[in-house]
Amino acid sequence: MRFEGRIPRDDVNVSRNSMLGEAATLVAGIAIVVLALAVLVYGAVELVVRFLPADVEARWFRGIAAEAPGTGDPRLAPTQALLDRLAARWDGNPYVFRVGVMPAEAPNALALPGGGILVTTGLLDRVRSENELAFVLGHELGHFRHRDHLRGFGRRAALGLIFAALAAGGASVSFPATVSAFTERSFDRDQEREADTFGLGLVAAEYGHVAGAEGFFQGLPDAHASVAANVSSWVATHPVSAERIEAISVEASARGWPTVGALTPLPPDWAPPPRE
Amino acid sequence: MTDWIVVAVQIGLPAALLLLAYVVGTAVESRHYRSLRARELRTRGFPVVTFREAPPEWRITGSELVTGSVVISLDYFKRFLAGLRLLVGGRIRSYETLLDRARREAILRLKEDAFARGCHAVINLRMEAMRLNRTLGAEGGTAGVEILAYGTALKLEKRGAV
Amino acid sequence: MILSNTETVPGRTIREFYGVVTGSTVRAKHIGRDIMASLKNIVGGELKGYTELLQEARQEAVERMVAQAQSVGANAIVNVRFATSSITQGAAELFAYGTAVKVE
Repeated sequence: MRFEGRIPRDDVNVSRNSMLGEAATLVAGIAIVVLALAVLVYGAVELVVRFLPADVEARWFRGIAAEAPGTGDPRLAPTQALLDRLAARWDGNPYVFRVGVMPAEAPNALALPGGGILVTTGLLDRVRSENELAFVLGHELGHFRHRDHLRGFGRRAALGLIFAALAAGGASVSFPATVSAFTERSFDRDQEREADTFGLGLVAAEYGHVAGAEGFFQGLPDAHASVAANVSSWVATHPVSAERIEAISVEASARGWPTVGALTPLPPDWAPPPRE
Repeated sequence: MTDWIVVAVQIGLPAALLLLAYVVGTAVESRHYRSLRARELRTRGFPVVTFREAPPEWRITGSELVTGSVVISLDYFKRFLAGLRLLVGGRIRSYETLLDRARREAILRLKEDAFARGCHAVINLRMEAMRLNRTLGAEGGTAGVEILAYGTALKLEKRGAV
Repeated sequence: MILSNTETVPGRTIREFYGVVTGSTVRAKHIGRDIMASLKNIVGGELKGYTELLQEARQEAVERMVAQAQSVGANAIVNVRFATSSITQGAAELFAYGTAVKVE
């Protein structure tokens, strides 16, 4: 046996492709698939939302609305009364609304499937007139009017499932998640604006003017937002307050609702429950 | 307007990192390949085989176990590409160059080790590979791959037919 | 090209040998196979998708090794060995190596 040192060709175990080209192709391909999936999912959710009648929804989710928390808070009853008055101004309201109070610092309000509305103690602490509270409740009623809560729930559930499946498959790419997060936020902002308009209409019907609505946003910290706050507003689900104030003024003048008027004060015993 | 700045930053920053990883990684890779080719050319007269026994013509005066090993790390761009590939399946080209370099480097180090010990050939070459995991970071991903090449190096009385 | 994992090609003698030749390929499975595998993990049985995948990958690694051997002018590869390693979760490297020889 003779040895002869020969060097084999060294290009068999590697593929001479441009990696940048391959990266571009893969990213584009995957992005297209994700976009198509998102469109399908959103379309399916829209169909469900459109064909699910409100009274069926109210029946299905009655269980959630029935356990309204915060019964210890003395502000719950006047809030419920206000809510009932506003809901009466909505022609064709199919829900029976119940409000509940959540203990939380930040002012917030949530719409739950079936007709439940949750407000935080932070919100109740911060409102300075009945008009402001009416606007917030009216805004939530607007969400029910447009079935936003169902849409959001459906979209998040479906997309969450898809991404969980992808993640389980071992892919550690976060691109699809970021892209979908962005598109979700922009839908939410449109929904919020429409809910604002509806709430404004209810307030105008109840009080004859929309003075309190702007007042509420003036009180929130990011009303006079700095650039930094504006930057992070894109990924917050609610549009930043300065934008919303402007939108409200525009809408009010377009519909002929006066923006000044006497504010109805809150009930005299409006205070959080005493701490034990 | 500020929205678009946020979008640009959130997508642009990882993209810039990827580009950097690609450029630097490709440069490192080219340099390594040049070194590999030069050393393979220089050592081509040194036999490395997978025979379990030496050719009968060789007169063996000594033998010892020799090894050559290397740990190669996966750069950000390669990991990103592999992550995309894992969704669609197929050949992961970015890892192929990595492993090719690692194996060739390990065998070269084996040859150099045997030569440094005064041996003239290596028989019964075997190779092992092991994945090293990252301890930092969210996912327990791969930090690098270790390739080990080992065999029996022979000291020959006269290089005979070699 | 003759392949064997014995010392010599049975029945033939080796005239020259040229050194080690290698062939390797790195393959990833795709999402579809993964989902099927997860389902099979519940009921058990052969993962046909994976079997096929690895067979194809092994075939490709061997073909690459043969290409290297051809480039040095060999007509057989002896003492062929296989090694499979997991590079990252979901991807495996198939590696084949042997000594390129000329037999008669």
